[in-house]
Amino acid sequence: MSSYRSAIDKCMKKGLQSIFPFVIILVVWAASAQIVFLLRGVAFPTPWQTFARLLELLGGDKLSNISIYVHIGSSLKRWLVGFGIAAFLGVAYGLLAGRIQWVEKATARIPQMLLGIPGLAWIPVAILLFGIGEPATIFMIAVSAFSPIAINVLAGIKNIDVHFIRAARMMGAGNNTLFLRVLIPAALPSILNGLRIGLGTGWRVLVAAEMIVGTGTGLGYSIIQARWTLDYTASFVCILVICMIGLLFEQVFLKQLEKRTIERWTLTAEAE
Amino acid sequence: MIQLENVSKSYLQNGIWFPPVLAKLNLTVTEGEFLCVLGPSGCGKTTLLNLIAGFVSPSEGRVLFQGKEIRGPGPDRGVVFQDATLFPWLTVMQNVGFGLRIRGMKGRLFKETTIGFLETMGLAEHAEKFPYALSGGMRQRVAIARVLALEPKVLLMDEPFSALDANTRERLQDELLKVWMLHRRTIVYITHSVEETAYLADRVVVFGGTDAGLVADLPVSLKRPRQRNDNEFIAMKDHLRKCLAEQPCCIQPQTLTGERNQ
Repeated sequence: MSSYRSAIDKCMKKGLQSIFPFVIILVVWAASAQIVFLLRGVAFPTPWQTFARLLELLGGDKLSNISIYVHIGSSLKRWLVGFGIAAFLGVAYGLLAGRIQWVEKATARIPQMLLGIPGLAWIPVAILLFGIGEPATIFMIAVSAFSPIAINVLAGIKNIDVHFIRAARMMGAGNNTLFLRVLIPAALPSILNGLRIGLGTGWRVLVAAEMIVGTGTGLGYSIIQARWTLDYTASFVCILVICMIGLLFEQVFLKQLEKRTIERWTLTAEAE
Repeated sequence: MIQLENVSKSYLQNGIWFPPVLAKLNLTVTEGEFLCVLGPSGCGKTTLLNLIAGFVSPSEGRVLFQGKEIRGPGPDRGVVFQDATLFPWLTVMQNVGFGLRIRGMKGRLFKETTIGFLETMGLAEHAEKFPYALSGGMRQRVAIARVLALEPKVLLMDEPFSALDANTRERLQDELLKVWMLHRRTIVYITHSVEETAYLADRVVVFGGTDAGLVADLPVSLKRPRQRNDNEFIAMKDHLRKCLAEQPCCIQPQTLTGERNQ
């Protein structure tokens, strides 16, 4: 009976802990809105106004003459295309450099160097390469998401327990079998981790890129547009939507996938 | 069947040659023999095994297997490691069948053969489980089944049961003997336990570290099945223990990170 109760307590505690960050953000946000209004006389959108505007926009109100669904859709499309390119190149590079030593020696510093460049610093490069428009945005996403993916995949391949490789060789595995059936699955947790970080990086860069090299649609573009029309509440709605989508993908989707893999991959916990 | 001729092994690390782990070693293993290699930790027992397995190559001298120089690892020499090193992304059955699949075995034959080897080790009902769901003893059983499935000419075992609890260890020793009696495969078994040596071996070589090399090479002629509380058994253990006590204990390993991959 008492253990039943303590299980409920534990559940409640966990539930409270997971909504706590949201409560803190709401309180700080609402307080800031009040203080700004009192001190500067500026209408700072409160959480409630923002949620109300969100419902309006979801209900069909136009933002920069375009439905919010179109903005979300075009942002998602750019993100996934840019991320797709980065994921393909990053995984391919990591696997190649992980297997061929001279490739690693010659190039392993490059993703490290790229990692040091903030996403927005690519704007002049993107504009010079592609002009203002869709390809420039996608380039910025791809180039920023590439490094974390490449670095994690390479590290994953390099850190594989030598005994896995020995066991495979001992059972007669040739190079292809070793690569496809041992190295890639063994590195999978690192590969997933890299993809998750890359996805998050890409999303942040996307929004910033849309603000500057945007082309009439997208959530980042809408934030800037709403500022010109003094519809600050709509800007806030966009920020909220961006945050939610990012959270959904990074935490819920990929993190679960990663957790599953790591659970199975680690053999420390013994089932006696 | 296996010959080591004047074998020395040193490791190169960060551009520095470390003093040899093995020096001018000679050893012959005959077919069908259960050979235990007994020695203090850090004396190069594992290096000896890795040389026969083909994971590392000798700095000097030659290692021959059936008259031919060993070029690398292969399924004719099955290795059971100290940790089971099962592939965690494969089920028990897929782990056991890994070598069979490489040889192109598929379908029903694959299933029946792997189940057969799992039955040998008493694991048939765990075929669909993943390694993380198994206990340490069960994992080591799978590791043995995986090597038996290769039908190797030699089993190389590197302290395979040392991480297990005493009860599990003794049971697995019995199972290993059962399998060995059935097929009479050559076994090279690395251990630091005199008890294990006295129970398993036909012949034991005692390793005394780099400078000493092989300090003893003696037959264990106790009748099988052996009894752990038998007087002769206890006398054998005492004798081995004395041999081991003459060696320096806790030798410093010669390398920091172990061997390089192959």
